Amino acid sequence: MKSESFTAKLTPQRKPFTDIVGLELGAGLAQGVPAVRLRKRDNKTELVAAGFLTLPGSLPESADTGASEAVIWHLPGPFQAAHAALAVNSKHAFIRHSASAGDDLPEKKQIAYRQTSRVIAPDLPPLLAGLPEFQAAWAARLLPEGHRPTACSLQIAAAAAMSGLIAAPTFAAASGNAIALFVFAEYTALAAFQETKLVLYREHPVGARHLRDAIGAQMGIDVSLADSVLDDTLIDPTPIIEPVLRPLFRQVEISSDYLLRRRNCPVKHFFVCGLNAGARYWSAIFTRMMSQPLTPCQPFDGIEPAVTGTHVPKDLSTVAPLLMAAAGAARAVLEDV
Amino acid sequence: MSASLHLDLLNDDERFSSSPIRLRVMVPLMGFLLVIGTLFGWSFLAFQAHALSTQKTTVETDITGLKSAHAEILRLRQQEKEMAASLKQLAFYRSSQLKFGASLARLPEVVPANVQFTEMRVPTPPPFMPDPKTPNLGPTNTFESVSLRLAGKAGGDRPTDAVNGLLKALDNNPAFSNLIHHAEIPKGAFRQDTARGAVNRDTLLFEINCTCQPRRFQ
Repeated sequence: MKSESFTAKLTPQRKPFTDIVGLELGAGLAQGVPAVRLRKRDNKTELVAAGFLTLPGSLPESADTGASEAVIWHLPGPFQAAHAALAVNSKHAFIRHSASAGDDLPEKKQIAYRQTSRVIAPDLPPLLAGLPEFQAAWAARLLPEGHRPTACSLQIAAAAAMSGLIAAPTFAAASGNAIALFVFAEYTALAAFQETKLVLYREHPVGARHLRDAIGAQMGIDVSLADSVLDDTLIDPTPIIEPVLRPLFRQVEISSDYLLRRRNCPVKHFFVCGLNAGARYWSAIFTRMMSQPLTPCQPFDGIEPAVTGTHVPKDLSTVAPLLMAAAGAARAVLEDV
Repeated sequence: MSASLHLDLLNDDERFSSSPIRLRVMVPLMGFLLVIGTLFGWSFLAFQAHALSTQKTTVETDITGLKSAHAEILRLRQQEKEMAASLKQLAFYRSSQLKFGASLARLPEVVPANVQFTEMRVPTPPPFMPDPKTPNLGPTNTFESVSLRLAGKAGGDRPTDAVNGLLKALDNNPAFSNLIHHAEIPKGAFRQDTARGAVNRDTLLFEINCTCQPRRFQ
């Protein structure tokens, strides 16, 4: 014990990070790798740069490809913060409340996992997050030493997105209990919060891509045009997307009932994040099913543009939901004192 | 316990500095440079020591070669010093000469006719006894007293006046002031001549001691 405290004294105290670029790995977006640079100044978080970067390589799907692919990323000037927070969007990653170390998880019987846990509430088991070791090691090697930025954090994309929501003033203003949907390309994460503490986390295998595929298949159009259909008012895609969304919203209903019965916390607020198209259809279907409004939440809620100027795409308001995990990863590091 | 959902999966050994100056590169590099610097420093010192040793040997060889010439120079310098001292002493002797000739040439002018000199002598001064502990190459004495002893007879009617007149002339006459400082008759030196019987009872023997100007060896 004494030696531990002595070692702790010798270890240099890490300074709080003030300039972070968040990068989402494995997002699978045609636009590129989502990147958001945030800076903390005078206790305020400001947006320095945001966009999609054309960077080589994609998240490896097996240990063999992860070991053989030595990819180095060099970020453009506006995104060269001192440090980077990496959010990994992997189908192998997991987040769950677990009392054990997670050795009995089925995923871990197949491949080696890197995991970490955090106690977020006294009446709940620690929140456990895990990522295949080969993906974690691959991600950690992307940004070489001696060049800006270098990795300072490696997170699961869903956890990063949740961190971004927790830091948003809209979410903070909605006191009580809330359920938030984080829409990714391949799945939607469902998170229930009691005040700001995560009490329930589920993943549903319906994502933005499934909606586009359904629209494309049923309307006979290219998938790339699906977003314009969702934004257009000429065609009502509700009959097409409702069958896809109904099982997801059913899960929300079940989770809401579970929280009411088991934890005696009625859910009053529902948020959806990560929707860059068709938010009003999501809200309409959700309201019809749940008799509750579904509030879209923007990833840059509460973040001011940098005084020195920002480097952002012209259609930032449209593509901002796709930067949800990248912004959340950077925000998680900045807010985690 | 915190509500933060920052679940960081990055290992500590995967955290790197973005600074181009890397401590784990710079420390070995500085160590290497330190070793190189130390080796270079020692090599430089060794080279300097070797160069100085070579220079010392050369100088010693030169000194050995010049030793006989140096001894000859020292001997010549000593000889020159002795000769210069001798020349200096000779010059002192030359400058200390007293010119008796001119004064003695005018002596007959003041000698009365009834006075006859029987002796004129410059006594040898007492020898100088040098201190054997501090030998001196120069003049042993820079000052030497000189005296002139005159002896004679005075006859005639008033021999005493003749001798006193002579004494006075030697003492005061400007012709002798360059040579004679003071003249006197020692006590008992003025007496009757009893050597030749009663005829000569009127003859007086006298002696005059003249203190001359001193010889200055300067």
